[in-house]
Amino acid sequence: MASYPRDFRFGGFVVSLIWLIFWILIIVALVGLPLIFIILFYVPLPEVDGEVLTPYLFLTSILYPQSAIPVIETLLDTTFFKVAVFPGFTYAALIAAATIFIERKFLAKMQLRVGPLYAGKIEGILQLLADGLKLISKEIIIPSGSDKLIFWSAPIAFVATAAAVVALIPAAPGWVVADIDVGLLAVFAILGFFPLIALLFSWASNSKYPFIGGLRALHQLIAFEIPFILSALSVVILSGTLNLTEVVESQIQSYWFIFFLPISAFVFYISSLAELERIPFDLPEAEAEIVAGWLTETSGMIYGLLQLGSYIKTYALAALFVILFLGGWAGPQIFPAEIIPESAEAIIPVSELYEQTDANAAFWFTLKTFGVIMLMLLPRGISPRIRIDILLHTGWYKLIVLAFINMFVALALIYGGVLGPGGLLVR
Amino acid sequence: MTSIEEKFEESKRLGLQIVKESEEDRLMTLSVGPQHPGSGHFRFVIKVDGDYIVYCDPDPGYVHRGEEKMCEYRNVIQNIPHLERPVIHDSANITYSYSLAVEELVGIEVPRRGQFIRAIASELNRQVYTLYWLAIYGIFLGHSTMFMWPTGDREVIIDLLEALTGARVTHAFNIPGGVRNDMPEGFRDRCLSQIRYLQKRFKEYEDIFYNNPLFRQRTEGVAVLSKEDAIKLGVTGSVVRASSVPFDVRKAEPYDIYNEIDFKVQYMKTGDCFARSYVPLLDMQESCYIIEQLLDKMPASGEVRAKLQPNPKGPPGESYRRVESGRGALGYYIVSDGTPKPYRVKISVGSFRNMLALPYLLFGKRLADMPAVYWSLNYWPVEADR
Amino acid sequence: MSANNKKELNKVAAGSQTKHSSSTSDDTAQEQPPSPSTQPKQIPAKPSPPSATAAASAATTTTTPKPSLASSPAKTQPEPPPFEKGLVEQLKNKFGDIVKVVFIKPLRIKIQVEPQDIVGVASFLRDSMGFDHAESVAGTDYPKDNQIEVVYHLGSYSREELAAHILWLTARTNKDDARLPTLINIYKSVEYHERECYEMLGVYFEGHPRNERFLLPEDWADIPPLRKDFRIKGR
Repeated sequence: MASYPRDFRFGGFVVSLIWLIFWILIIVALVGLPLIFIILFYVPLPEVDGEVLTPYLFLTSILYPQSAIPVIETLLDTTFFKVAVFPGFTYAALIAAATIFIERKFLAKMQLRVGPLYAGKIEGILQLLADGLKLISKEIIIPSGSDKLIFWSAPIAFVATAAAVVALIPAAPGWVVADIDVGLLAVFAILGFFPLIALLFSWASNSKYPFIGGLRALHQLIAFEIPFILSALSVVILSGTLNLTEVVESQIQSYWFIFFLPISAFVFYISSLAELERIPFDLPEAEAEIVAGWLTETSGMIYGLLQLGSYIKTYALAALFVILFLGGWAGPQIFPAEIIPESAEAIIPVSELYEQTDANAAFWFTLKTFGVIMLMLLPRGISPRIRIDILLHTGWYKLIVLAFINMFVALALIYGGVLGPGGLLVR
Repeated sequence: MTSIEEKFEESKRLGLQIVKESEEDRLMTLSVGPQHPGSGHFRFVIKVDGDYIVYCDPDPGYVHRGEEKMCEYRNVIQNIPHLERPVIHDSANITYSYSLAVEELVGIEVPRRGQFIRAIASELNRQVYTLYWLAIYGIFLGHSTMFMWPTGDREVIIDLLEALTGARVTHAFNIPGGVRNDMPEGFRDRCLSQIRYLQKRFKEYEDIFYNNPLFRQRTEGVAVLSKEDAIKLGVTGSVVRASSVPFDVRKAEPYDIYNEIDFKVQYMKTGDCFARSYVPLLDMQESCYIIEQLLDKMPASGEVRAKLQPNPKGPPGESYRRVESGRGALGYYIVSDGTPKPYRVKISVGSFRNMLALPYLLFGKRLADMPAVYWSLNYWPVEADR
Repeated sequence: MSANNKKELNKVAAGSQTKHSSSTSDDTAQEQPPSPSTQPKQIPAKPSPPSATAAASAATTTTTPKPSLASSPAKTQPEPPPFEKGLVEQLKNKFGDIVKVVFIKPLRIKIQVEPQDIVGVASFLRDSMGFDHAESVAGTDYPKDNQIEVVYHLGSYSREELAAHILWLTARTNKDDARLPTLINIYKSVEYHERECYEMLGVYFEGHPRNERFLLPEDWADIPPLRKDFRIKGR
């Protein structure tokens, strides 16, 4: 942005400053304050130490930082925190961002090259930020004759659906956005939206290659939902509940289900690769055949949103794998009971926020999820793309049979009294 | 499997086996055009019925430069730089054939050491081209590692070529009369050590790429080109060798010193995409042996280039010489009328001949097979357009 | 590689390649000194009609040179090699004067026929003599004679002894009304070559399903570019 700088005049500078202050005051007075009062009128204020949190109480925390601790504690308990930070959107987005970066580096090492190197001082760590900024700054081109409503709303729906799946995943005991008794069923119900979104978006693109890609996405995603559900059904049989938190609890009581259901875990893994449209199942986005499949007409932030949604879905399905088969957050306790011993007398007892079980659970959950994500990234460097008829043949014939086999094994374990209530292996 | 005649008729009538003429509205026309990540600088129009291709019409000419016409305006030495451009990766072979034809017309005798160096450059370039072709095959199949590894290994050979000729890709090394300059010191040992490295890598390629079940699933049994069809269509190079016709110009009509070199003509009998993708790898391994022998048998010193007049010209005549390049038999038909500039140069490239197999092979195949089949025909779009 | 492996390679190569003729051709070819263009190949006798064994007969007429062509570029006027002579004998016996031999060089034979006879000669070449594909089709413009010459380079994949030979089947046609019958029904491989010849030189191939523009851009509105009247702009 090289523009010719005009001569600096101090008077003009002062005038612009006063103009700025004037506008800030106007907006705060006429818009901000009424907004605050309306919000305070309707929003139920949290209770802090038996007192209602008033703005006065809130502002005193500036002078007495230790009084902010109970505020933060109540904040940590709210649903809003769970939705926005952990295990909600921020957590998922951070994992998604880390996944993208790790994928590029991991893949590069497998392919005897380096990957992103120049963005950021250490090994290209800011590459993702650079890509995000690039995508935001690009022009969004809408093809003529396309259905504008669907074209604009489908990427947003994609991210929203992916985020909805994330909302059902418990990352630590008690830390789940939506604790539904039929959690697993809800996950599958929400996953059923993705083929619809792909098809609608490809239709709205008004072009031949996206059309082919959308049909392929439809075939692939629907065909692999069945082995997906069947393999998860074995877990439901063993644990006796659809609630995801209780599934993990039952694994903590006995052993991780992957030891009893290895075939189901394998089927689940393959089906989740197909649901995520990852290589070797990336037919809907097959580059050499149908340009970019149903993503052909996306540009700029629409493409960015679709990629974000795709990686959030990756995290969600990997987390689901961990919960169903790898014991969720179960793991040996490696965190100390208190971070800083005898800190209750400190000026700012931050360590009161620290909860041992929650930290441990979050740590193990994140570690296992990353492990599963790396496993999902691995086939990208190894295999070529599969063909649609081989894909459907595999999905319909082979995977369903395998899932059934393991379901019978699970049933046998239950009836044999090995697992289930009062079973032999239940601690 | 229907014979080639029947397929020819059907592909003209838009595939009556799959779609009746009255249902032509069901077909969708796709232009796999120059702006397509799956086609290169080449366009072909396909009509698709659901997932099956019923019609394919190649439409080359996107990068047509008029090489043959340009040759008539320059003398025989000036033609070398622009004749390299049709296939930049394999530039030693496309100028090799030209040099042979010109030498026959003008009557130049190439010194022995020059012949050996020419052959070494030709073999190295053949490997460069085949590795690049393999890399693009990986992209077409969606295998990104199959793109990265051959491209990385290609650098090894390109460094060798840079040491030998001075340029990486279009080096204008072969001229009528020999090569431009001699080998540098230490080239022999360096070349041998890099050849060892490449031989190890080719074994790894076989393990990782060719024994990959998904790769085999996608290429085995797909688009079988029978021996009779291959001969009738006149395809050449690795395509015809994959259909059990063991034809290699270096063996059939040895040029320069190829009759002193021991090597096998690698061919396979199945004729499907897998064979067409495997024969180039076998060719590359064979090429390594040939380079070793060439380096052994080379005379230790000597001229590398015959002395030429400033504007070499010979008596009026015609000549046709061919060379085995990465794509197949690359032939030059040169008519000379006694002046320094050729009267007519016709380049018969392997890609142009192999392009004929594309409509026949694509008929009745799935859309997903299209890149696999198209690239397995060892087609280089720029060369076919000249 | 050790010498043993090399010998094995050689044997296997000879054994794997030669399908119907003897296996000695490769060995003999390899022991000859370089520059094969001046070496006749010693090939075992190929089946030729009995009347063709009269090699002494001067049946190979290096005819009066066509106005713009000459005979072999060898420094001396060598005796045409016996194998190639045998091939030409076969043609002469079948077609007599229709086939005019332009030259016979080692591994290269050039014959010229009239446009109306070209289909018959080509079928004979394909069926009886074993030239089963056309390597390329080239057209050359000779404005001095007002003629365009189309050369078909025919090669053989199926016959071992003909693998190195290229037979040039040529026909000349008048430049003002350039028409030739197509050989597509005999040699499928000429389909695209003839189409390119049509667009580059303006020779109409009768019977070819698509005499259309192939390599040139869609909006080409000039004369066919490979004609000598077409000058590249700026030269």
